[in-house]
Amino acid sequence: MRMFVANLFLALIWAMITEGFTIGQLGVGFVGSYFLLWFLRPLVGGSVYFLKMWQVVTFSIFFIKELIVANLRIAYHVITPSSFFKPAVLAVPLEEMSDLEATLLANVLTLTPGSFSVDLSSDRRVLYVHVMDADDPDAVRQQIKDQYEKPLLEVLR
Amino acid sequence: MFFELITCFLLLIGAIFSFIAALGIVRMPDLFTRMQAAAKTGTLGVGCTILAVATFFGDIGVATRAGLVILFLFLTSPIAAHMIARAGYISGVALWSGSVTDEMRDQYDPVTHHLSSEPRKKSDNDSQMLGM
Amino acid sequence: MTLTVSFQIVPFTAMLTLNIFAIAMIFAMVRLLRGPSLADRVVALDLVAALAVGVIAVYAILTEQPMLLRAGIVVALVIFVGTVAFAMYLEKRAKP
Repeated sequence: MRMFVANLFLALIWAMITEGFTIGQLGVGFVGSYFLLWFLRPLVGGSVYFLKMWQVVTFSIFFIKELIVANLRIAYHVITPSSFFKPAVLAVPLEEMSDLEATLLANVLTLTPGSFSVDLSSDRRVLYVHVMDADDPDAVRQQIKDQYEKPLLEVLR
Repeated sequence: MFFELITCFLLLIGAIFSFIAALGIVRMPDLFTRMQAAAKTGTLGVGCTILAVATFFGDIGVATRAGLVILFLFLTSPIAAHMIARAGYISGVALWSGSVTDEMRDQYDPVTHHLSSEPRKKSDNDSQMLGM
Repeated sequence: MTLTVSFQIVPFTAMLTLNIFAIAMIFAMVRLLRGPSLADRVVALDLVAALAVGVIAVYAILTEQPMLLRAGIVVALVIFVGTVAFAMYLEKRAKP
């Protein structure tokens, strides 16, 4: 967290000394100062921050890609006749996780292709997910666990 | 000029996805498939339109506000959709007849006390599920 | 007098976008009127509000008034609270 504040501070300084205080300059400053701090790792420490930041960036890019894919698939389903999909409600067993993590996982699942979280069991061990294409329920379940749950928990912990 | 082109592109993308969301809400056969269309494409469509506002003005205040709106939208619209889906399921909206399986029906008792959903009723099945 | 052909691309696209949004809103209204269950109507109403936020955003571009974005924030906030309240009500009504 301290490293994040330092990074943001350097980005602000960059945006102030360059001409015009725009959001683009702030972004350039943030990326530049990130690499600057990474270069100065032996002096300033904080290697956890660099790993976390990298994971957050990777997950965000992955999430945006998945969001676009999800929308294209929904568009395909909307345009083609409705006999092309096989919806189902599946039970996905979850790891032990806090309220915030469960909420974020349900949100991510809702916005990614083919899945939509309907309900969480009262002891928070099973998430019920409505999926668009349930040809092979076990494969879908495994895919949700591998592709979304594991990376999200890695980022958040 | 470059930013204007990006603005136009984002506006068109947003409008097309919003249109697909509205089309999906009319064409899809049951509540849950409709919600899939509305939650996903509606969120991205409106998100793209607000991003277009940010690129059009290019001002740091507007961009920050637009970023906040997008963040808020991406956090709340899935939650709202999730709550309606849950309420719809509890109030007994039927799944589409073409649905393959419904693994929630056995876990949920509609007549008695509505313990929203239990993990599994049979213990052997339970250990098998969680050991996966 | 010089001939200035002023085809401005952003207002043109914004107008086009507004039309698309209007048609989308009509579709959502169809579901709002026809919806078999109350939950369907709530989904349609939620989508109408989301489209209204989009229309406000396009209007902010068309009139070059960034202040309108705040109206969008307010609409998004109010409709989120409204949807959650409606979901609560549906759940309460289903329970004896």
